[in-house]
Amino acid sequence: MPEIQVENLTKTFGEQRALDSVAFSVEDGELFTLLGPSGCGKSTTLMSIAGFQQPDQGRIAVGSDTFFDADRRLSVAAERRNLGIVFQSYAVWPHMTVFENLAFPLKVRKLKRREIQARVHETLDLVEMRQYEKRYPHQLSGGQQQRVALARALVYSPSVLLLDEPFSNLDAKLRERARMWVKELQQTLGLTTIFVTHDQDEALSMSDRVVVMSAGRIQQVGTPEEVYRSPANRFVAEFVGRVNLIDGVVASADGGRLLVDVDSSHRLTLAAVGANPVAKNVTVAVRPEALTLLAADDGSINGTNTWEASVHTVAFLGDHYEYDVNAGPLALTVQSARRVDGDRVKVHIPPDACAVVADDS
Amino acid sequence: MTTGTYAAEALPRPRRSWLPAGALQSATWVLVVVLVLGPFVPLLYASLRDRPLYEAGGVFTVDPYRQLFGDSAFWHAWLNTLGFAALVTAGAVVFGAAFAILCGRTDLPGRKAYSRLVLLPILLPSLGMVLGWIVIWGPGGYLTNMFSQRLHIHTLAIDTIPGMALVEGARLLPIAFLTCQAALGRADSALEDAARSAGASPLRVLGSVTIPMLRPALLNAATLIFTLSIAALGIPLLLGTSRNINFVSSYLYNLWTSAAEPDPGSVSAGAMMLLVVATGLLLIRNRLLGAEARFVSVTGRAGRRELLSLGGWGWPLAAVLAIYLVFTTVIPVLGLALMSIVTVLTPLLAPWHLLTWSNWQALGDPVFRRSIENSAIISVAGAILATALVALATLVAHRSRFPLRRTLPFVLLYPRATPGIIIGIGFFWTYLVTGAIGDWFRGSIWGIMLAFVIRNLPFAYVVMYPTLARIGEELDRAGRAAGAGWWMTCRRIVLPLLRPAIFASFVLMFVEILNDYDPAVFLVKPGTEVMGATMLSQFIQGSIGPVSALAMVQVAVTVTVLAVGAKLFKIRAMGGDDA
Repeated sequence: MPEIQVENLTKTFGEQRALDSVAFSVEDGELFTLLGPSGCGKSTTLMSIAGFQQPDQGRIAVGSDTFFDADRRLSVAAERRNLGIVFQSYAVWPHMTVFENLAFPLKVRKLKRREIQARVHETLDLVEMRQYEKRYPHQLSGGQQQRVALARALVYSPSVLLLDEPFSNLDAKLRERARMWVKELQQTLGLTTIFVTHDQDEALSMSDRVVVMSAGRIQQVGTPEEVYRSPANRFVAEFVGRVNLIDGVVASADGGRLLVDVDSSHRLTLAAVGANPVAKNVTVAVRPEALTLLAADDGSINGTNTWEASVHTVAFLGDHYEYDVNAGPLALTVQSARRVDGDRVKVHIPPDACAVVADDS
Repeated sequence: MTTGTYAAEALPRPRRSWLPAGALQSATWVLVVVLVLGPFVPLLYASLRDRPLYEAGGVFTVDPYRQLFGDSAFWHAWLNTLGFAALVTAGAVVFGAAFAILCGRTDLPGRKAYSRLVLLPILLPSLGMVLGWIVIWGPGGYLTNMFSQRLHIHTLAIDTIPGMALVEGARLLPIAFLTCQAALGRADSALEDAARSAGASPLRVLGSVTIPMLRPALLNAATLIFTLSIAALGIPLLLGTSRNINFVSSYLYNLWTSAAEPDPGSVSAGAMMLLVVATGLLLIRNRLLGAEARFVSVTGRAGRRELLSLGGWGWPLAAVLAIYLVFTTVIPVLGLALMSIVTVLTPLLAPWHLLTWSNWQALGDPVFRRSIENSAIISVAGAILATALVALATLVAHRSRFPLRRTLPFVLLYPRATPGIIIGIGFFWTYLVTGAIGDWFRGSIWGIMLAFVIRNLPFAYVVMYPTLARIGEELDRAGRAAGAGWWMTCRRIVLPLLRPAIFASFVLMFVEILNDYDPAVFLVKPGTEVMGATMLSQFIQGSIGPVSALAMVQVAVTVTVLAVGAKLFKIRAMGGDDA
């Protein structure tokens, strides 16, 4: 079964560690996303799986086939890995028609003419590009080229599909449609897929699981919800979505509640304790949309984690307002569905929306 | 969304290619390295023996070096060569850069036409052009006499060092022009716009932004031009002899051919020294350029930029450029044409009284006829061979994981810095020491072809590489992912996309091999004559008319092939920086 295993992948370029003990496994039929800023090692990881880069250490296996094993000096050539890959630039061969592009991998596999034709047509139907089979790539739009690239990667029934930032060259509207479409196709085919992106919206909306990478290391592996709601560290919290980070000292860790002093008049209450002893310096993360903003004279919420604040800036963003407010030492960004008038407001941080995040590893 | 069983229909894995990519890559690497660097081994060996390699026996010695270094004429030749090269470099770089700025950044009338015409000298056959200069501007030349006798104006004597520098400088100016043009095209025009917005006048922008930005390009062009002019052979042989001005190249040539006491050992020693100097210059140049920036081609975004207005100076400057082109290119070519159809070219008698077909009829003589035939054969065969070899080597260098791939670009560019006479002498010794195979090469035109091919490999590479660099690597990775091996990916995807560069390389190779001559000087035998070598030897023997006709054949073929090639394949002038 095409379960992908990546163990202890390490690669250095000169002084720089591009990959540092990267390890994960992808389950059959899963859409698994490598997410991170440029230079984090996600593309190097993908290209190592595809066979276009040689890690210095580690092991890569798909199902029972070992593709790469540094200890055994084993590296299967890229063309013998039977993987489907869609590149960022699509890499649709410009001197071949759509049909010829799809036929090439089948000719390489020495299929008969009739078989080739049947398979190419079947796959073109799948991506709804059948009527364009005689066109050359330059006669197609970006979105159509992407479909051709995907079809070419699927036509020979690869064991695994690799997607290298396939949406980054599409405009915003098209990108959203393409996302849904690819996700649907992947689910229909049940194809194990590794997807590389720097776009957190893409990662969250499409993936079964996400790996967040930074500086060649894995920061966190989890479902989109896990990564978003309980980021493992500061980097993940800041990179995936937007976040308010609050530094403080643990004052008490009893009764399932963690009390964190930001300063003498601002004590933050968290709903979970974790391994945080008294007097430890901690960073608390809370998402802007989890905060509640109230008019200064609104009495509906009081007490825990509720403070007076002054409004610094307000921005209208269509479906919500965004406030930058100062509550004593706390500089907070708040997303509010409602407009709250006045320079003075009240801000409330729900205790169960807070998470203590570790420093970066 | 139709079929759910899709992924389950597994296909057979692609079969392994019968030709392992590693074997093909290794073979290419070995072939290129042996052909380019191989000939230097016998050359070094010959320079360290007490007698020529064709004589039996012999022991190791440094005598050839001692003898050469003890000859004051040799050092005098070096002094002449360096002075000449410095003058050539200064002139070509200053005027080449000025022309490039005029054509690229100002509203000079006719700048588009000029930026093409100015390239002509480097494309026309160099030996033929020197002959044209001699016929017109040489001592006793047509216009020299006319100017001095009718107008009492004395033109620059081109048989002096400054005069020879003028001839060579005019030939090499296009290199500086192309390098600067490429640099100007690459430079982000926003840098200049920013200076304009900051309040600088257009002229000030030119002085404080544009020209300083050109500095790396100027240094690059200067080193290349200096290296090339050190190796000039035709000019000192044809122009220097009358006043007994020797360059290193002509000194070595005379030593080689001297009937009295030929000294191949010392010639080899001198060639080694020249090789060391040229290699040193090439290394300096690589350092200056850093990494692969040198290959970046003329791909500047064709952003609309505001051109510097020359105002009232536009037409006068255009006229100056026109006069320059007329005097350095048009007149020598016309002179050759005229020379080929008259018995004598003299201002005393109008040419139409002296018309004759005998010069052209002389081309039917066995030596001339064979030269033309041989040149035609080796130009076609050599261009095919060079293009195929360089295409393969470029793929290995830039699109493979072959462990030694990074050495290939340097090896492919190395002959650019190697004077033609060194290649000639190197191949001479190589054929001599390689037994039956060498004898076969030595006795046939293929020996000369191989030397020409190696000499001109860099041109094919500088045409091929920029195009390859523009073919995204993801295209061949997609081929590999689809299951094709290295060679199949190259054959089915990369090479078809490289086709324009392959044609361009073929056309350029054809012209370069057709017009090359100096390596052949050491390799020709009766029966294996080629046009350039024949022109040189026949001119020295005084048969100027037939040689002019032969030169006109070269010019006509060159111009036709380049024009047709440019039309068919949209060849850009020489591909890139490294003209």
